[in-house]
Amino acid sequence: MALQDLCNFQNILLEGETAEQSPVRFGKKAASSYERGLRSSSLLDFYIPVAEYLDESPIQFGQISPDQSSSSSDSSLPPGLPLASSQPVPLPFPMAHGTTTLAFVFQGGVLAAADTRSSCSGLVACPASQKILPIHSHLVGTTSGTSADCALWKRILSRELRLYQLRNGHRLSTSGAAKLLSHMLHPFKGTELCVAATLCGWDDRSSSRGAANGQETDLEAMPSGKVSLIKSSFLKQQPCVRKEASLSGPSLVYVCSDGSRLQGTLFSVGSGSPYAYSILDQGVQWGLSVDEATSIAREAVYRATYRDAYSGNCVDVYHVTSKGWTRRTREDLKEEYYRERERQKEEAEKKKLIHVLKT
Amino acid sequence: MTQIPSSQASQSVSVRRPFPLSHGTTTLGFIFQGGVIAAADTRASAGGLVACPAVHKITPIHSHLVVTSSGSGADCMLWERILIREIRLYQLRHKRRLSIRGTAKLLSFMLHPFKGTDVCVALTLCGWDKDDSVENLEETLGTTDDCSPSVSKDVLSKTNLQCCSGPKLIYVCSDGARLQGDIFSVGSGSPYAYGVLDGSLRWSLSKEEAISLAREAVFRATHRDAYSGNNVDLFHVTAEGWKQRQREDLKEEYYRDMEKKGKKIDLKMQKLPK
Repeated sequence: MALQDLCNFQNILLEGETAEQSPVRFGKKAASSYERGLRSSSLLDFYIPVAEYLDESPIQFGQISPDQSSSSSDSSLPPGLPLASSQPVPLPFPMAHGTTTLAFVFQGGVLAAADTRSSCSGLVACPASQKILPIHSHLVGTTSGTSADCALWKRILSRELRLYQLRNGHRLSTSGAAKLLSHMLHPFKGTELCVAATLCGWDDRSSSRGAANGQETDLEAMPSGKVSLIKSSFLKQQPCVRKEASLSGPSLVYVCSDGSRLQGTLFSVGSGSPYAYSILDQGVQWGLSVDEATSIAREAVYRATYRDAYSGNCVDVYHVTSKGWTRRTREDLKEEYYRERERQKEEAEKKKLIHVLKT
Repeated sequence: MTQIPSSQASQSVSVRRPFPLSHGTTTLGFIFQGGVIAAADTRASAGGLVACPAVHKITPIHSHLVVTSSGSGADCMLWERILIREIRLYQLRHKRRLSIRGTAKLLSFMLHPFKGTDVCVALTLCGWDKDDSVENLEETLGTTDDCSPSVSKDVLSKTNLQCCSGPKLIYVCSDGARLQGDIFSVGSGSPYAYGVLDGSLRWSLSKEEAISLAREAVFRATHRDAYSGNNVDLFHVTAEGWKQRQREDLKEEYYRDMEKKGKKIDLKMQKLPK
């Protein structure tokens, strides 16, 4: 079997560089030969539109260059990137994933929050979409990118995790789930699949692990340990509690379809993420109470929806603890906006009064 | 501060950026009861390299006007000098200072011939207009470029008084935009600054609160944005003129913030190569 594959592999190489002759057409000339061999001999016998932007930095996944956006007819991707030249005020960066989602870890578990606006090329496709999807009782995933892709992959992930649980008698850890998702998405790297999810979960290792599974624990712990070595020194400054209890407790991993898989304590994804980051950086600490954490998350999403055109409508807040996830009632940010407007009106009145008194 | 990413320019850059930059900086300005605050970081970046960690992004034009700059460093420096010269000439010719709105208009019209070229200038004029006294009103009505001759003098005098006194904040950009407002933040770090400012900015802030808010906003932006960093400059413009606060290294602020959050900074670890 392996030899046959190898021969096939060689044949593909010898066939030459013309993409048109191979059964699977490629949009990019410099596809790796491994991928080519894999694709021609596998079941994936269809056109894979490998986009030109692969030539650019992998961080730029999902972002279409201005000349490509005009030619692509597929509108399933998040809002077409506005051309810098057509904007009256230059954007700080092109929009990626028209949404705001955030998640952070604190002493009371993991908090995930997101807005509810689905946008499509400048139109609000749905003002009440759900961007935080529960995967199982102790794992919740925030989604960003193409809504269709996210919904599908979340379902696939739920199914796979359930199968794992049935086969092995315990739930897969968050970092294990992240690894699974990342490996499932890998064959689609370079295609237009766009999924940027943060998996927020509570790992429960202490009680459910038997002695026989001790080996697996170590194996699973090692990769996440490696990831934590690579992450920045900022994250190394976690209090001792976190380091020792990395196998159980709250856990937050960011997975994205270009292959990144990052463990951390605070993530925000989407076009509204910079606005949210500054609020979160100010307020998030390990020692927050649940109410304080909820209010910071709400404020961060609100600030993002205030400034970002592609985020808006309502805010969802999910809280994951050792007992599972709970969901706060969906709150319309319109009310918050009007409250702020009232406050500004009052201030304007005061301002006018002072101005009149001065002159 | 880097060049504007017109679609042609980005392909000629040898170092791939994670995203096309508009203006690699963080500058902000806002109005409150005590005047105008202008703040900016001090990092000049060029394609992923920090070209200079101690640049002046806020420049005084005259005693009651400072301008924050963003975009191409060379262009900003040149246009600031040109603006200073033009304002001074106006003052000598007409024996009065040009209003902030007039300055913005002048700058916008000077930049207009370069629209569509690679000139990249995004300035925020932060200043305080002196009150026009009644005696000078007839003079100003004749000479100021804000007035249109068809409007009656009464209406003109009222609008002139209202618009030509007090704190002013106007954003002028080489694309042609000219916007008056109460709060502006420009640059790649601007979303981070907006998040902090929108939440806490009130008209009724005290001077110390406003300064600390501006510092906090720039600090948060420099924390997250790679193209902003190093120090923070802060100017405060009142009816008496502008005052510059001492340049502050944000490294200290970062350490204070980490300690506040209970995270110990392990200096030994920081030296390890990653």
